[in-house]
Amino acid sequence: MSTRAAASSAPATPLPAAAGTKPAAAAGRALALGLAGLAATAAGFFLTPDTHAFALAYLTGLSFWIAVAIGMLIMVMIHYVLDASWSVALRRQYEHWLAGVKWLALLFVPLLVATWVKPGSIWPWTDLATPLHGGHGTIGDDILYIKKSAFLNPAALTLGTIAFFGLWMLLAARLRACSFAQDDDGDLKWTRKARVAAAAGLPVMAVTLTLAAIYWMKSLEYHWFSTMYGVWFFADCARAALSIGVLLSLRLYSRGDYKGILNTHHLHSVGQLIFAFTVFWAYISFSQYFLIWNANVPEETFWYNLRELSAEGAFNQWGWVGMALVFGHFLLPFLYLLSYKNKVTRARLRAVVVWILVVILIDLCYNILPAAKDARGQPQPFLSLNLLWVLTTLAGAGGLCAWAYLRSLPTRKLIPIRDPRIDECLTHHD
Amino acid sequence: MAAQPNSLIATFETTAGILRAAETVRDAGYKHWDCITPFPVHGLDKAMGVARSRVPRFSLAGGITGFCTGMSMIWFMNKFDYPLIVGGKPFFSPLFAFPVSYELTILFTAFATIGGMLFLNRLPMHYHPVLKYDHIHRGLDDRFFIVIESRDPKFNLEATRALLEKAGGADITELEA
Repeated sequence: MSTRAAASSAPATPLPAAAGTKPAAAAGRALALGLAGLAATAAGFFLTPDTHAFALAYLTGLSFWIAVAIGMLIMVMIHYVLDASWSVALRRQYEHWLAGVKWLALLFVPLLVATWVKPGSIWPWTDLATPLHGGHGTIGDDILYIKKSAFLNPAALTLGTIAFFGLWMLLAARLRACSFAQDDDGDLKWTRKARVAAAAGLPVMAVTLTLAAIYWMKSLEYHWFSTMYGVWFFADCARAALSIGVLLSLRLYSRGDYKGILNTHHLHSVGQLIFAFTVFWAYISFSQYFLIWNANVPEETFWYNLRELSAEGAFNQWGWVGMALVFGHFLLPFLYLLSYKNKVTRARLRAVVVWILVVILIDLCYNILPAAKDARGQPQPFLSLNLLWVLTTLAGAGGLCAWAYLRSLPTRKLIPIRDPRIDECLTHHD
Repeated sequence: MAAQPNSLIATFETTAGILRAAETVRDAGYKHWDCITPFPVHGLDKAMGVARSRVPRFSLAGGITGFCTGMSMIWFMNKFDYPLIVGGKPFFSPLFAFPVSYELTILFTAFATIGGMLFLNRLPMHYHPVLKYDHIHRGLDDRFFIVIESRDPKFNLEATRALLEKAGGADITELEA
């Protein structure tokens, strides 16, 4: 077959390690961006009077990169479990990116420390003396808290968080090690070992990411409940990871490293996956809203009411953010990605993944930030100083992740050249 | 003058052979011709110069029709024809009409995709001249064929036969309608 014949003429064995244009310089820039972002965030901590809102902004910016890392980990595992072939070359970029998980864990430490030093500073239920809104006693007296207290307490939060990051780092290290070891000896046993790690790791990921979303985000308004919440976070994780993966691959392509490796069919396949997760996100987000709207029970509807109406019943800023999500997170990317051309043209695909990443950040803001209330118990508006701290944290954590990626990139082959499926990947045809 | 045959068929033994031959026929500017292979040959669509399928247009039209059908059906029944309060909800809201509209979007998209595929391929087709060819069953097994139809404006019995020969085709045979 022609594609087969093309494979033998395509770059076979002696692929250079990704040595392009001074990777060290790029890594240095990423590190500078990260440190500058973190410095600005630290300055914000001392400047802002509302530390609770500031902490939530920090959590939002950090969650974005945690979502990317979780998504990449899951993508690598799905790749192994399904014995996929087309994604072998892309998998290597995910593996490099996973070098940054440890930095995300480190960046989460301040939130735990703050919780122990000053209980209630981030998650209100970590301080049982926090008064409830409207003079209904304290959280410690709240039956809705007491019923959940076995789960929602500082010790469980701390141990849980340590366990989540520990498991993610363990799985990331394992999958990276298997893939990198195969570069050296080409032994098939590494593929099998990675497959075992992936099969065992996927349920672990499902449980940990759901619990993490519940502990870190949903429990900010602990009265509220939704069984869709973990799935919602997963949908954002998957889309964010695929989008960053596209950006990394296109970067390598434009530098010349991925010429002859990345073809139209790879872009088409990734585009289809992003499209599928766009629909998936819409499906679960709509289901969550629709079930709550339809049942119309006050214990559930308050969460959306706060995000739509002010105390006077007028449409507030979060209402517009919600509408922006309906159209920007679903409808526009959905219609755009229906087109074949938009999925396989590099510039067009890059444009839509950048758009999706921006909207994912807004989605995280929508879920986390309204938990920061003003003096009247209403959510602080979307356009406020909080948004600035979201962006500085985003730059800080993102810079560190990019730095970890760029440092890992030149240490290994550009693609897993001895993966048993690498030929099928290079000749991918859908 | 003898009656013009329906088409010319040529046999190839390898995928590489038929890919090269398809490129030759494509470059000679023929439009009404086809390849018969026992299995999908990657890259053959490109070698034949086949454009991307137009089936997605049918799918899109089907999807839009399905969505609008769902929405308007529920609006008509619950708000217009027989207004009925259910669960204290408005007579019509796109929210509760959405699940049904969404299901109909998928259903109509599926119908339109299948229907559009059959329509564009002119299926079902109960008879085709190649079925009369003695060795056509090899096309299910280990041989590859190129068929060029005589209704093609570029068709010329001698020139087309020469082209197929040049492209490496063996057993070039005239098929009757």
